[in-house]
Amino acid sequence: MTRIMLLCSAGMSTSMLAKKMQASAEAGGCECRIWASSEAESKRYLDDVDVILLGPQVRYLKARIEKAVHGRSVRVDVIDTRSYGMMDGAQVLQSALRLASD
Amino acid sequence: MLDKFMDVSGRIGSQRHLAAVRDGFISLMPLMILGSFVTLIGAIPSIINAMAGTELALPGWFSNITGMVWWGTFDMITLLVVFSIAYNLAKFYEADQLAASLVSMAAYLSIVPQTITVDSEAGAVSAWGNMSRQYTNANGMFVGIIVALLATEIFVRLMRSERMKIRMPASVPPAVGRSFSALLPGGVAVLSLTAFFSLLEYFSGYSIFQLITRFLSAPLQGAADTLAWALVMVFLVHLFWFFGLHGTNILGGIIEPLFLVMMAANVDALMNGQPIPHIVTKTFMDAFVYMGGAGTVVGLMLAVLIVGRSRQYRTLAKLAVAPAFFNINESVLFGMPIVLNPVLGVPFVAAPMAATVISYFAFAWGLVPRTITVIPWATPPILSGLLATGGAWQAVVLQLVNMAVSVVIYLPFVRVADRMERRKEAQAAQTA
Repeated sequence: MTRIMLLCSAGMSTSMLAKKMQASAEAGGCECRIWASSEAESKRYLDDVDVILLGPQVRYLKARIEKAVHGRSVRVDVIDTRSYGMMDGAQVLQSALRLASD
Repeated sequence: MLDKFMDVSGRIGSQRHLAAVRDGFISLMPLMILGSFVTLIGAIPSIINAMAGTELALPGWFSNITGMVWWGTFDMITLLVVFSIAYNLAKFYEADQLAASLVSMAAYLSIVPQTITVDSEAGAVSAWGNMSRQYTNANGMFVGIIVALLATEIFVRLMRSERMKIRMPASVPPAVGRSFSALLPGGVAVLSLTAFFSLLEYFSGYSIFQLITRFLSAPLQGAADTLAWALVMVFLVHLFWFFGLHGTNILGGIIEPLFLVMMAANVDALMNGQPIPHIVTKTFMDAFVYMGGAGTVVGLMLAVLIVGRSRQYRTLAKLAVAPAFFNINESVLFGMPIVLNPVLGVPFVAAPMAATVISYFAFAWGLVPRTITVIPWATPPILSGLLATGGAWQAVVLQLVNMAVSVVIYLPFVRVADRMERRKEAQAAQTA
């Protein structure tokens, strides 16, 4: 079970991508839980997540999030802008899973 | 240069105090939406009366209720702000949020004057044991923000300090020790801030409220309700977005307090049947400038539908139309892309600035009634115009004008970008 949290300012635009990723995961038979959160709400999930993906528009939060998850086995990355723009759930899911298995 | 820009904007966007202020205001949005709409309902008869010359009135018990809710939300806004900002800052530090909020609230209430002076027929009368509403409503907001940040900083730092822990002998149950652990930090925070502001007033002759009003809030408010400020703000927000960064999120900690002060003054005027004072509010931006999201992207979508023929643009327009209806446009910004796109970047900045100028004058000349409610930013255009102004049809006309102008601004650029995109697609087809 891979737990992936997407993060942006209000968690709105990432929620669309999260839905597509979840659909792609279910279609591919991959056991994942994928959800979107706003920056303000994200802290409560830090103990229950494997991968955190930031929307490119809040990439400046990466250092802060990395600091917040320091000592936990959580991977943090910024979503590729092109895949984000096209809402390419399969592509983003793949890179998230790759990140989790590293 | 670009790295430097990214670095600086990152620092602003994730600066903890600015973020706490921004998130503190975001937490208050539901209450502000409630308060402004209830006030609007209470004011509907007088709006109709002014238009139709009737003499409608709500039953007394009903207007009592709307007035009470206005009092409890907008007129107590500084108290809510103090609590909410302290809570969000403590969250950043992973400290006890409730304790930090309570301590900040106590610190703020301690520095508020306890005596009011009222002019009466017998001259000025002072009465102890009363708190003036100017310290609970938006007039006190800047002091409230400062006190919330300072009190939380002091509290959190002292809570972490080993020296501030009260040590109990081993025979005392540990729970007793814990119950004392917040005592000293909280006490120091409240006491030191109260002493500081009290002595400041004693020696300078001015209270912190007078100083802040004179040197910070009065000049800021004067400057913040101008076309120049609106244009600077819109330009900066879109400059950030052009580089792929969330402009309103980065600048939120600076912009939001000013916006709320303006809106509180508008709602106050609505409540008391006075002319609406301010033009540049958050609702002004959300309803009349950010239609379809940043960049007045509704104009871009329409322009793509009119002249766009490349596969990439048509696909994207289909994908983006439903979210853009709710002013969410990240897929357009990153998919088209607009980010770092020299062609589409121009109208992306120009269209919202044009919408700002048009809207500003439409309000300034009284063609459209000014904004009197707080609306969720995801409210679709047209509906947002109606809600923003208490149902004025002129607001819808203004939105349509802004949309038309933004389409015109986007069209030539979309045509060029679309041609480039098609050439790329043709090349890809050839090589494939």
